[in-house]
Formats: sequence, structure tokens, C-alpha cells
Amino acid sequence: MTSDQNMSTKFRAALRNELAIWIQKGIVTEETAKQLSSAYELDNLRHESTRLLSAVIFTIGGLLLGGGLISFVAANWEAIPTPIKLTLLFSALLGFHTVGFWLWHSKNWRRLGHALIFCGCLVFGANIGLVSQIFHISSNWYGGFAAWALGSLVMAWAVRSWIIGVLALGTSFIWFLGFQSDHDQSASFYPLILAIALLPLAWIIRSRVLYAGTLLGIIMAACVLAGYQGSGRQLLFTMAAGGMFMWTLGELHRASEWRMAFANITRALGLGLLAVTAYVWSFHDLWDASVFGPMRSLWAFLFFSLSIAFSLLMWGRARQTQLLLTAGVLLAGGILCASSLLSGASANISNGEFLFTVTTNLAALILAAIIIGVGLIDERRLAFWLGSLYLVLLILSRFLEYETSLLVKSAAFLACGVTVIIAGISYEKYLRRKAAGIEASKGGSGV
Amino acid sequence: MSKRASLVAFIVAVVIQILILVAVPARKVFTMATGKTVVLKVQPVDPYSILSGYYATLGFDISRVDAFPNARGMFQGFSDGAWFYAIVEKGDDGTWKPISLEHELPASLPDNRAALLGRINHGAIRYGIEEFYIPEAQRHRIAEDLSRNIDKARVEIKVDRSGHAAIERLRIEDRIYE
Repeated sequence: MTSDQNMSTKFRAALRNELAIWIQKGIVTEETAKQLSSAYELDNLRHESTRLLSAVIFTIGGLLLGGGLISFVAANWEAIPTPIKLTLLFSALLGFHTVGFWLWHSKNWRRLGHALIFCGCLVFGANIGLVSQIFHISSNWYGGFAAWALGSLVMAWAVRSWIIGVLALGTSFIWFLGFQSDHDQSASFYPLILAIALLPLAWIIRSRVLYAGTLLGIIMAACVLAGYQGSGRQLLFTMAAGGMFMWTLGELHRASEWRMAFANITRALGLGLLAVTAYVWSFHDLWDASVFGPMRSLWAFLFFSLSIAFSLLMWGRARQTQLLLTAGVLLAGGILCASSLLSGASANISNGEFLFTVTTNLAALILAAIIIGVGLIDERRLAFWLGSLYLVLLILSRFLEYETSLLVKSAAFLACGVTVIIAGISYEKYLRRKAAGIEASKGGSGV
Repeated sequence: MSKRASLVAFIVAVVIQILILVAVPARKVFTMATGKTVVLKVQPVDPYSILSGYYATLGFDISRVDAFPNARGMFQGFSDGAWFYAIVEKGDDGTWKPISLEHELPASLPDNRAALLGRINHGAIRYGIEEFYIPEAQRHRIAEDLSRNIDKARVEIKVDRSGHAAIERLRIEDRIYE
């Protein structure tokens, strides 16, 4: 019901408050209010917030407990004979898991049980390190992370846990960083493994964090591969294509209403990734310093193709404003990708570095406009302010990069400061006008 | 999931975690239980960085490719990451000396010889016995002992029939660290 329709707790809380006023004003009848309350499960709101609080507390407690245990064992315990050490390690692991599962299923203390099982997975990781110490195992440092990731992944699936899934994601990524520096090409399969292992879990348990985190992990892994295999410019293509992929996927979630809860975080991360990419490559020195190796990253082309496919899929379903924003994102991402490819394909372009610096700055400006646009269209203050700050950062970076006169630099700082303040005031006025308009229309309809 | 299915999935997950934990030291335990004792003379690797965190980084005669008389002709066949067998022989002083590098595990060796499975890593040979874990309380004592008496330091290892090696103990004169 509500979660599938992406009705946030914030919206439902506002609806509950509004319902009381609507009944008073006679806008809705008590019967309709009850139906709305039932449809949006407004009576559960208090329990949900309590459950969320307890989940946070138990998880923090679990983290502290796990951290304490890891520190304890790291501080080592040479006085204890090896068989007793091993017994303690296995007992701790079994203890956390068994008590956690018992509290969860037999006592219905779901959150605490979950936190203890998560803690058990931390103990599992610590145990791998300790067993390696006890037997003086000297192998690749990242091997232990592979074992930790595998054990955590299995447990994440068994207990349907997003936080253990995130643990598996983090530990497997650390393994990947070590493995690919030694094995290069054979690490290319990692993004695929990540997608198969964690995306279905995130989908089933409806975890936004695990879903977006896994997508970001896939893109970051492809970026690492691109950076090692080719060149900086190949990395640019992969980052830009990855950003486009995440944005369009988020928009597709929104337009198709499939797991709408995944939409905002996915597209926000995509836009953020594109903005970071455009900003980093907006510096002329970077174009001067990097070279373009052979384009070998299949992942980058896959991200690019998928972003085009997602855009086409949302075409008939999305609102006009969504399509406009997506067109802007594809334009900015396309400029970045084209700059990357053209810079490699035509090394003999005169003043090529200057040309591509201009195109990436143009892409960054378009992205700033899109972020501000999201703030205006979706009425998200954070997006508006981030977009404004991104624009200011871009302008100031150019002044600091090229202009040596202190006077001009100070003028630029002043102009940016004044512009931001004026833009902020205008934005707040715009929000108030809009709110006043809604109130007026409410009053009118009430009459 | 039903309660029963949850329980089964949970038990499977716990069993897999335990199996992983058992698998991590399994090779070393097997080597320790079945292997032949070999004593190697410790060589200084980096006198300024004997300790790396909680580990002492150890080097040996047999860590250098050129310590093996037949390596000069063979070295081109060993790219980084290549596996091979290092044949060592027991010397008069009780430590084992490099004899030859082989691509294949010898079918049989006399009692005073052993074959260690090694791998080229950035020009050196690694056998999986280069890091010795040191308990925190003994860190400074062992580091000082090692840096002062590196030429007297010996590592006792076990080598099983397939060439895998495991550290048994570190010995500096009559002082034993396990």
C-alpha cells in the first residue's frame, strides 16, 4: 500500500494534521476522513516512528558492541591457548546469531534481534582476521574481505537485512579494490556479481539505501576498472554514463510507479555523480595532463545504452517537467561523454584541451540549472541551495584558475555572494507566493 | 517467508559462515599436521620497517630468485604471478639452502630436501610465510630483538607434500616466539 505508492511518513503526518482541519471546516466528512486514514494507515504513524527510533538505537548499539569486540580482540590475547581462542571465537559468533534470531522470532523483538545478527556478522569479520593471525596466514590482504563479504551476503539474504547487505557491499568493494590491482581484467566481472547478488535483495526488501548503494557500487567499480585499464578520459566517460544511468533509472521508477520509493535517492545520486564529474573535468589542467587510452570499458557503454533505453521507456509516462529535466541531464551527460570520446578520437584537434574545457564547463552549467530546476519544480530547498552553491563554486573556480588579479577575484566573490543572497530571497518569496496561492484556492473552494 | 523457512535459511547462513571460518586456516592446519620441518635463515627485508602493524615482515635466502643457481636461465619464463617450486636442502648448520627452481613438483625427494610452492611477486618470491603475527604486548621486544639479531633469527616452517608452507615459530638464539 503506502510504501509502494511512495507516500512518505512526512506526507502522511501532514495528511493526518490536515484531516483534522478539513473535518472542522467541513471539507471532508468524518466517514471520508476515516477512509483516508485507513487507506494511508495514519493510525500506524506513531508506532512507525517509535519503531524507527528503536531501530536506530539498536543498530547504533549493535555497531558499538561490534566495534568494542573488534577492538578487544585486536588488542589481542596471547595468554590464552589456541584451542580456547578458537572456542571463544566460534562461541561469540554463534552466541550473537542465536540470541539475535531467538529474540527476533520467539520474543518478537525484531529490531534488537536484527541488530544482534548484524553484530554477529561484524564478529564474523573479526574472527576471519583473528584466525589468520593465530595461524600466521600470509596471503593477499584482501582475501579476508572476500570471505567476510560472502558470509555477510548469505546472512543478508537469510534474514532479509538491508544493513547486512550494505556490510556485504562495503566488504566486497574493499576486496575488489585489492583484487583488481593484482588481476586487472579478471576483476571486470565484479559489477555484474554485485548486481546479481544485491539488487534483487534490495528490490525484495524494498531498501532504498541498499538499492542506491549497490547501483553506486556498480558504477564506482566500473570507474575504478576504467581508471586502471585505460585513462582519465575513459574514467570521465564511465562516470558521466553512470550518472545518466542512475538519473534515468530514478526517473523511470517515478514515471512507471515501480518501487517509487527508489526514485528520489537514485536520481539524486545520479545527478550528484554527474555534477562531481563535470566539476572535476572543468579544470583545464586535467585535460592537459590526461591521455585517452583505448576505450575498453564495456560497462560505460552499457550504462550509456541503458540510460537511453530508460529515457525511451519513460517517454509516454512521465510528466512534461520530468521529461524536460531528463532531457537536460542527457544533454549534459552527452556533452561529457562526447568530450571524452572526441578527445581520444581526434588527438590532433587544435586547441583541443581548451575546447573540451569549454564543453565540460557548459555541461556543469546545465547541471547547475537542472539542480536549481529540481529545487523549483519539486519545491526542494536543499536542491535549490545545492544547485546555487554548485554554480557559485563553478564560477569561483574559474576565477581562481585563470584570473590572477586580486581585485577581479574579490569582485567575483562579492558578485557571487550578492547573487546567492538575492536568489535565495527570490526563492523563499516564490515558495511563499505558491503557498499563499494554495491557501487562497483552498479558501475559494471552501466557499 | 514462513517461520520454518526463515529458520532453515538462517541455519544455512550460520553454517556457511562457520564453514568459511574453518576453511580460512584449513590449508595451514593440514600443512602443520602433515608437513616436514624446515628451518630458514631470516634475511633483513627493510630494517626501518620490520613491523607492519601487528606483523613482522620476513625475508629469506630463498626469497631472492638469483639465490638459485639455475634461475638465471629460467627467470625469463617466470612472469609476475608465476607459480613454481623452490627446492631447498638441509645444510650443515641446520638451516635449509636454495638448490634449484622447478616448474613441476618433483616426484620424490630425499629426506634432506624439500620443495616449497612459491610465486613471483614484484621480482621476489613469496611462499605465504613472509608475515609473522606478533602479539601487541611483545611488539617492541620482538622488533628490537629482530633488528639487533637478524643474522641469528631462524624461522621454523612446515612444508607439506604439495609444497605448501606454514610458519611454526620464530626463533632468535634460544628465544622462541609462536
